[in-house]
Amino acid sequence: MGIEALGGATRGVAPSLPSLPTGSVAPAGLVEQPASSGDVTNAFGAALARGLQSVEGLEATADSKAVQAATGDLTDVHDYVIAANQAKLATELTVAVRNKAVEAFSEIMRLQA
Amino acid sequence: MTIFQAIGVAGTGATVHRKWLDAISDNIANINTAKPTSEAAYQEKRVQVEAVDYGAGTSGVRVAGVTAASSPEGRMVYEPDNALADAEGYVRYPDVDLGSQMSQMIMAQRGYQANLAVVDRARETYLAALRIGSGG
Repeated sequence: MGIEALGGATRGVAPSLPSLPTGSVAPAGLVEQPASSGDVTNAFGAALARGLQSVEGLEATADSKAVQAATGDLTDVHDYVIAANQAKLATELTVAVRNKAVEAFSEIMRLQA
Repeated sequence: MTIFQAIGVAGTGATVHRKWLDAISDNIANINTAKPTSEAAYQEKRVQVEAVDYGAGTSGVRVAGVTAASSPEGRMVYEPDNALADAEGYVRYPDVDLGSQMSQMIMAQRGYQANLAVVDRARETYLAALRIGSGG
């Protein structure tokens, strides 16, 4: 399936990304459900939760650097800006993953219309 | 630091160059610090840098230590009217070469800027990856 190729590329680029189980979630009702389809959906949820946790970690780092900047304890200006940028990128990554999943879901819902 | 690692690694480079700049600033600030001949002169600070082993999962660079790059004897200068002068009228000045400090300052500044350029470029690269498939 072509979509799986996209997922494979994603895994190759960033091993820690939660991969989209695009192929398995989609065919609900149209194709015979494999017994493990519920597990796959849960796996996506768990992966997204893990991704959110790592975003939270980066946000916490950026926050503590911001506090250090405010209190005058920050030794490196670039440390804060880099941490803030990393947190921003991680957030955008999570949003991109969510958007793609929702997009796939809506596409399937449109099949019935 | 597993995700967006290029940014973090360039950050360690920027930190090392900032510390180098600190050492140079200290050296230039103390270039006219006179000491009595009974004491050691101010010694030029030089930052020793080492690479962080990439195989261990982390990478980048860090400061291994700061060493004294000039002699504690310094330069003996005849200044009989200096309050610190000894019986013969001599004081110790640090043996720091201002020309060398200035050229090191250029290297530290450019190194810092180069690392920040890497941060910027890596950010753009990751953003391009996030835009895959969105037609942008």
